[in-house]
Amino acid sequence: MLRVEKLSRRFGGLKAVDEVSLELGREEILGVIGPNGAGKTTLFSMIAGSLRPTSGSVALEGLLISGLPAHRVVHKGIVRTHQIVRPFANLTVFENALAGATFGADQTHARVKAQEALALVGLSERAADLPGSLTLAGRKKLELARALATTPRVLLLDEVIAGVNPSEALEMAQLIKKIRAARKLSILLIEHVMPAVMTLCDRVIVLDAGRAIAGGKPAEVVNDPLVIAAYLGSA
Amino acid sequence: MKLGIALTAAALLVLALLPLALSPYAHNLMTLSFLFVATALAWNWLGGYAGQISFGHAAMFGTGGFVAARLLLAGALPAPLAWIAGGIVAGAYALIWGHPTLRLRGPYFSIATIGVGEATRLVFTYWDRFTGGSSGLSLPMVPGAKRALYWEALAFLALIVLASWLIRRSRLGLALFAIRGDVEAAADVGISATFYQDLVLFLSGAATGIAGGIYASYFSFIEPNDMLGFDRSISFVLMAVIGGVGTILGPVLGAVVFVLLRQFLVGSYPQLYLGLYGGLLVAVILFEPLGLMGLGHRLVRRAAR
Repeated sequence: MLRVEKLSRRFGGLKAVDEVSLELGREEILGVIGPNGAGKTTLFSMIAGSLRPTSGSVALEGLLISGLPAHRVVHKGIVRTHQIVRPFANLTVFENALAGATFGADQTHARVKAQEALALVGLSERAADLPGSLTLAGRKKLELARALATTPRVLLLDEVIAGVNPSEALEMAQLIKKIRAARKLSILLIEHVMPAVMTLCDRVIVLDAGRAIAGGKPAEVVNDPLVIAAYLGSA
Repeated sequence: MKLGIALTAAALLVLALLPLALSPYAHNLMTLSFLFVATALAWNWLGGYAGQISFGHAAMFGTGGFVAARLLLAGALPAPLAWIAGGIVAGAYALIWGHPTLRLRGPYFSIATIGVGEATRLVFTYWDRFTGGSSGLSLPMVPGAKRALYWEALAFLALIVLASWLIRRSRLGLALFAIRGDVEAAADVGISATFYQDLVLFLSGAATGIAGGIYASYFSFIEPNDMLGFDRSISFVLMAVIGGVGTILGPVLGAVVFVLLRQFLVGSYPQLYLGLYGGLLVAVILFEPLGLMGLGHRLVRRAAR
């Protein structure tokens, strides 16, 4: 589905992302984990088109998309959510979703799509409210609904679970599974909350200092000595 | 919504019949108000909807005015076509400086527009052959034309009100509001900020240019420092800000308040009025950033309690 090859980004002398390759299968949930500063969000920004890679390529179903500006990447069917939620504060919950549906990959029946996306995340009743009146979990759901309204094939979720309370976290994890099933989506997921990663992800890759240091089934990866060293420091 | 349409139609009807009862002074003031309300609304498409505050809209007002005046002097086109031609040139000029500068946001964009406005004023002031320099251009007076221009200005205003409403409800309006909310998040839902901002700047500049052309015809004398002065650019900002940016009724109310205030201030404190404008702008932004509309909403809420 999505193929990232030797993607790199330098900021001056710093290699924020260093030749990371990954492949995301159809309807797969691939977790991207790693300590703070490992380059996870930078990787997302490059895939989403908001940051130009220094080198490497991103392809969606064989079609090269790296180098396209962010809005064009959305039209191709890849959409991201942000770690720090960024709703349009001046638009209602419905209009936020409508913006996604109106300008996304499939722009037909925008109003219906916006309503469906809100219904999927459980925000239909808040449609007329402003995002500022939602809880953090609510705004994270809105971020998700707005992304879904663009009719993506690949969803890039940047810490949609971190920061909410445990029961909401569980609810979010179930929501992500539900969304994958309902929309047949492939999902790339950055997450810090390990229980969620363990239950949600089919595979994970581990980034440290910009490099992919491990990958595989969640249970295998967490026992990998390299991964433990990256998180806890080596003895 | 229906009430709004009915009230707008009633207001337009009253305004259309009004000249039958007006003194020449009031006639002038009303025509001027129509043009100012229209420019405040056109400024608001960019400043209110997209959140890009331009302090350089006098450049398009002047461009539209002088192009229309030249076409009229050459007898090339009938007046309405000359105004539209002036508007298109003004819109195109806006695109030329706007396309590179609109990627700046907030104060950076505003500062760039101050530069554009002043540079344009200077070019027009020294471009004798086109603008007549500081002695300006005089258009021939046509008997009875002023009366017709009142209605033409009113019709233009009605079109701009309609356009404001249509833009707000359209795809373009949604894109602009999203861009104002968060330009990067807008890109992340598939909105091309460059395209929609360029489009709205063209429309806003063209409408402002057409207003400049009608203004030139009405006063039959124009000169660069009046058409393109910094105080003119400020006045567009002030009208929208006093009334309430991002709304339709706001700039209309703001422009009316502004015109009345200006008559009083220019008459009573000719040296001070620019300073007073500045003070007013600061006061509105500090105490009621949503202007008269914000104040109105607050009073309604209080009354409802």
